[in-house]
Amino acid sequence: MSPVAHGVIALLPEACTSCMICVRECPTWCITVESHAEQVGEPGARRPRTVSILDRFAIDFGLCMYCGICIDVCPFDALEWAPAIDNSAANRNDLVHDTERLAGWRMHD
Amino acid sequence: MSAESRTVAREAWEETLGDLKAQGFAYLDLLTAIDRGDQIEVVAHVVEPVSAGQIRVSTRVPAVDPRLATATQLFPAAAWHEREAAEMFGLVFDGHPDPRPLLRRASPGRPPLRTATVLAARVAVPWPGAADPESAGKGARRRQLPPGVPVDWLDETST
Repeated sequence: MSPVAHGVIALLPEACTSCMICVRECPTWCITVESHAEQVGEPGARRPRTVSILDRFAIDFGLCMYCGICIDVCPFDALEWAPAIDNSAANRNDLVHDTERLAGWRMHD
Repeated sequence: MSAESRTVAREAWEETLGDLKAQGFAYLDLLTAIDRGDQIEVVAHVVEPVSAGQIRVSTRVPAVDPRLATATQLFPAAAWHEREAAEMFGLVFDGHPDPRPLLRRASPGRPPLRTATVLAARVAVPWPGAADPESAGKGARRRQLPPGVPVDWLDETST
């Protein structure tokens, strides 16, 4: 199996900024991103900075057509192809991979 | 891989394919359709097996009267292609021996691959991209719509 094989889409949760670009570009609407805003105080800053914290990132592989547009458009390289091909399931709900499962597809750190 | 292209009138469709078959283009590689707005373009791709020469034949039928002679008498393999093109683009292939839908159950409504067809699932399912984390709790700054969807799209389908 080639290491660049387009088997499944892996997520690097720490790189994701919940910017929603992948969700909006996805032709099959298979990506769900849930996030909340948090105030982060920085030394020397007069006001706290608002950052988005990713709560849940899910891809429904029952809808995904493996086009890879989400990987191409991600400005933070939080998505990548992984060679795993064993992402089948006995029912439709199990085809929805959430944050931890998507992160588990990563080949390297 | 380039193929010679020929565009013929609807009336010459069967004759053109028959002539090509007689010239040795005996293998039907593909038959499909493209929505050109007020016309539906039907494309057939035939191959000459020895030299692997290819010819692409296309014709256009009016979208309001999308009838075309079947090619199944010449190429039995056209049967499935024509059934698929018929259900996806609303085409009618005159003389087809088995015009049942190939992939979908027969259903009322517009053919799904006509560009004028609004996909019902896109209305029923909320667009996940509508969520706006930057203005969470403050109300969206602007209404988010999927790319390529007209602003009045949802209003049009809900009436």
